[in-house]
Amino acid sequence: MNEQGIGYIADMLVFALLISFASLLLVGASPIDPKIESTRYAASFAQSTLLALQHSTADEFGGFKYQLNTLSSELNVPVLKGSTKRNLRHKTLVQLLVEDALLNLHIEAEGAEVKPLGPSWGMKSELREFLKGVLDKLIGGRFGYRLIVRSLPLDLGFVWVYFESEIKNLNEDAQRKLCSETIVATLPISQEELTRRIQKMLDTTLELEPDIAVEITLELWPS
Amino acid sequence: MEQLSVGEDLFAALAVVGLLVLFIAALAHSYHLYGERRNAYESFNLALDIAEDIKNRVLTASPGSIDLTVNKLEDYFKLLAREGIGLRVEVRTLGGEVLLARGPEQNPLEGYFSPPCSVSLPVAVARDQGSAQLCELVVWVGER
Repeated sequence: MNEQGIGYIADMLVFALLISFASLLLVGASPIDPKIESTRYAASFAQSTLLALQHSTADEFGGFKYQLNTLSSELNVPVLKGSTKRNLRHKTLVQLLVEDALLNLHIEAEGAEVKPLGPSWGMKSELREFLKGVLDKLIGGRFGYRLIVRSLPLDLGFVWVYFESEIKNLNEDAQRKLCSETIVATLPISQEELTRRIQKMLDTTLELEPDIAVEITLELWPS
Repeated sequence: MEQLSVGEDLFAALAVVGLLVLFIAALAHSYHLYGERRNAYESFNLALDIAEDIKNRVLTASPGSIDLTVNKLEDYFKLLAREGIGLRVEVRTLGGEVLLARGPEQNPLEGYFSPPCSVSLPVAVARDQGSAQLCELVVWVGER
């Protein structure tokens, strides 16, 4: 083989190298950032989920009922116990969350938590379980999720009123949150009634009338 | 000018041409993969746009819920068909029962090189007496 032939071969090899480099670039290149795409889908999914929760009733998922813990353990009579069951199958899932917020408001007076005077409502844990089942069915497998229900804290001088709860099912290793969507609901109670309840608990008169909005935030995470 | 020797030089030329053809085939394949990926993204985007459009405008009964009126979908399908977009829309309950289906059934293996792309979103389907059923809206986008 003469020197010219070797030169041609070297040229061809360089050319082939350039082509393979271009191929590698094309294989690695992505026309659109997949993160943006998944974020867009997740945001749309979260909005749709929150809207759907506003319309769907508990009845669809077998209904939701809970026991009012109004009776002491000594009075554990089945007839009386049955009469304290509260069936909320007609309520939408968002109404259930808001009712949970209303019944489990945290009230702090001068740094100490005030226990509600009413019965210890047995709704909290049952509702968490019920909603977790619904959300697992709706979102599970596609995304990890965290549903946060919280009220904007109400500062009444020496009294601090707030609510916060969380239902989640997500991979703890997930580092990047895909999206967070929020809807705002109001407590199903008049301002006067809420003020009256808080006043009764604290045994004092409040100057301000509380107007508590409840934020329901759905965060989606990679599953 | 020196003559081409049939032994070594021809072999070298064939090897180089073979190598070149191989690399160019690899380049063409990479470009094809890139194009497929771009198509998949575009189809996914389109399917998401269509699903949002159906949920928020075409079938909206009240903000956040839809009703299953086939007539409304018919017009929308005609509009998209004019733009050459093949489509299938299904509304399923969470138990898998199909409440509404419109458009030709999509077979994922049918378009092996450009399989149909689908998007699903949760929706509340309005029923009588103001209640709603939680369902899933699935949109497939096929050939364009």
